[in-house]
Amino acid sequence: MRLSFGPEVEAFRDELGTFLDEHAPAEALAGYDFADSGAETRVDLIPQWARDWQATLFDHGWMIPGYPRELGGRDATPVQTLVYLEEMARRRIPRSLHFPGYAIVAPSLLEFGDDAQQALVAPAIRGDTVWCIGMSEPNAGSDLAGLQTRAELDGDRFVVNGQKVWTSYAMVAEKCFVYVRTNPNVPKHRGISLLIVDMDTPGIDVRPLRHISGAANFAEVFFTDVEVPAANVVGEVNDGWRITQGSLAHERAGLWVEGVCRLESTVQSLVDVAHRQGMDHDSGVRRQLAAFYEQAASLRALGYKGFASFAQGSSAPEHSYLKMATSELGKAAYELGMQLQGPYAPARDSERGEENGRWANMFFMSFANTIAGGSSEIQRNIIAQRVLGLPRA
Amino acid sequence: MDFTLTDEQQMLRDTARTLLAKECPTALVRAHIEDPSVADALWLRLADFAPLAAGPLSDLCLFVEETGYVAAPGPFFATTALFASVLAAAGDDRAQAAQAGEITGTVALAGVDGVWRPNDDPVKCFVPEADRVDWVAVVEPGPTVRVVPPAVLSTRLLNTVDWSRRLFEVEVADVDEASTPIDGAALERAVRCAIVALAAEQVGTARRLFDMALEYAKQRVQFDHPIGSFQAIQHRLADLSLAVERADAAAQYAAMTVDADHDDARRAAHVAKAAAGTAATRAAKDSIQVHGGIGYTWEHDLHLFIRRAYGAEAWLGTTGWHHDQLAALLFDA
Repeated sequence: MRLSFGPEVEAFRDELGTFLDEHAPAEALAGYDFADSGAETRVDLIPQWARDWQATLFDHGWMIPGYPRELGGRDATPVQTLVYLEEMARRRIPRSLHFPGYAIVAPSLLEFGDDAQQALVAPAIRGDTVWCIGMSEPNAGSDLAGLQTRAELDGDRFVVNGQKVWTSYAMVAEKCFVYVRTNPNVPKHRGISLLIVDMDTPGIDVRPLRHISGAANFAEVFFTDVEVPAANVVGEVNDGWRITQGSLAHERAGLWVEGVCRLESTVQSLVDVAHRQGMDHDSGVRRQLAAFYEQAASLRALGYKGFASFAQGSSAPEHSYLKMATSELGKAAYELGMQLQGPYAPARDSERGEENGRWANMFFMSFANTIAGGSSEIQRNIIAQRVLGLPRA
Repeated sequence: MDFTLTDEQQMLRDTARTLLAKECPTALVRAHIEDPSVADALWLRLADFAPLAAGPLSDLCLFVEETGYVAAPGPFFATTALFASVLAAAGDDRAQAAQAGEITGTVALAGVDGVWRPNDDPVKCFVPEADRVDWVAVVEPGPTVRVVPPAVLSTRLLNTVDWSRRLFEVEVADVDEASTPIDGAALERAVRCAIVALAAEQVGTARRLFDMALEYAKQRVQFDHPIGSFQAIQHRLADLSLAVERADAAAQYAAMTVDADHDDARRAAHVAKAAAGTAATRAAKDSIQVHGGIGYTWEHDLHLFIRRAYGAEAWLGTTGWHHDQLAALLFDA
């Protein structure tokens, strides 16, 4: 056990720091706040600076450091990758404003795609192609395997009918990973396939869905007799469930560092709010904030501990722990940020309350974090059954 | 941060587990309730590991965690995590003898408020094993330390729910022994080591309580199914395991910061004790709830660990006290 990973790794951190100092645009440096509270007023879901920044990261081998050069990386080791995520989160610099392509599509195609599909990987990571992921449906949320969108093989093409929902970036995406039912006559996990669908194919109707804060960055997507070449199936027909498991894991893998850093900076902001609101001598508030600090600090330690076993080849259940804990704690912290403002807790007013209603807005948006990407309840099921080995009901 | 255990650390943990499972069964913890001298034989075995007190705190914590897993009674913690480090800070030769496992000792420092800082109180409180150790190091304002045999002190056992750790009130009257000065910062650091070690011990106790609940949930059948297949039980245990895992990580991190004399050591120690105390007391409540009625009986071993959890929570600063210290660092720094 040691506090730092050693001089070679710190040299890697310095190299990244030099690159960021030179290249990161001002908008990226303000990126976290932009992504958080600016979303509802943002007209362009993926502004030009974000596209340019993602391409710059790719071209310099800093988009996904663990990948080879041609995929926007530099063959970094797992420890170096961790340091990369840590440093990006600490500086609050986003890599990209659209995660599906680089975080889910790319690793899934690398593992399961044929030669033609492999060619889609680099543009997905560079952000040249914007992707969306058609997973959830109105009747398939936590029970994803219950999805009902049908794809019937007709000669050399599939005909797709059905509906997806909560599809992030569907209104700006060029391509979609669509999970479809190709065999309704077998147990539900065994009849699912993954198709690559061009979003400009006739029969696709995208309807932006405003979320609770008023913004729309996801959509409902309707498929009516959409024809998709049979060659666009990823992996084997009816073997798509295996890929969903992989892609959800990819989605979770790097998130903990960011989640913990965000939580830590939220706690620091809460201390500032308490000072401004004259609550800094309230013993209840002080203990509440100390408890948040304790949890954030211990979750950071847990993340690194999980990483140590991951780096040694063991599975790392810490991802489920950290996903659940950071999302739940974040929600509670934002709520406390409101409460510290007393009667102005719900204010979204430039004259009264803190920062134009930032805390109320963050609180509302944080509802998504304990639902999306596997709800807290699903995480508890995963921990109980896969980590603790408790029997399924 | 790299949490990877070295091969030597892994071996130390394995050895400790095997040794303590054999030498400290619950029968011994029970016998100790009536007769504290049954811990003497255990000490003779554990004394071989007293040299850990001279090495990195991380290693001592690995061992101490396992003593928490079995609710080990006796002078090991007081000697290695308190007495040896306070005497080392005072430059007293008996530190080496304690680190060699040749003598046992304890520290009298906290006053009636239970805060482990030098104070004027004539009675020192929460002194572990004060009647059965070879030496008691009494810390007085200055700070200074006087090392005396228990025979010259008047000691009173504080009756608590936790019989596995015997705490005393100690009165130092008419003692001739000269006092030697001790550096305030070094004393504070020694107390910090003890706090982190206790956090590690609590993690061990929390893990024991958790393991017992998990095992029981897998084998107890109701409504024709193991109760561990029910979501109400699964989610309770999932949440509890998170509390235990993060306390474990926090305690290990705190030990690393102390070993490195890192700036974050003060905060990390408060975080560790608070996280471990929260995890252990939660494990106590959740574990008995999962066990149901059988856990409420005297015959079942569960209460031995519930007792240990609540004794440790209150000692060397409650969770609330450590939160207050953290808050001071967050708000007033």
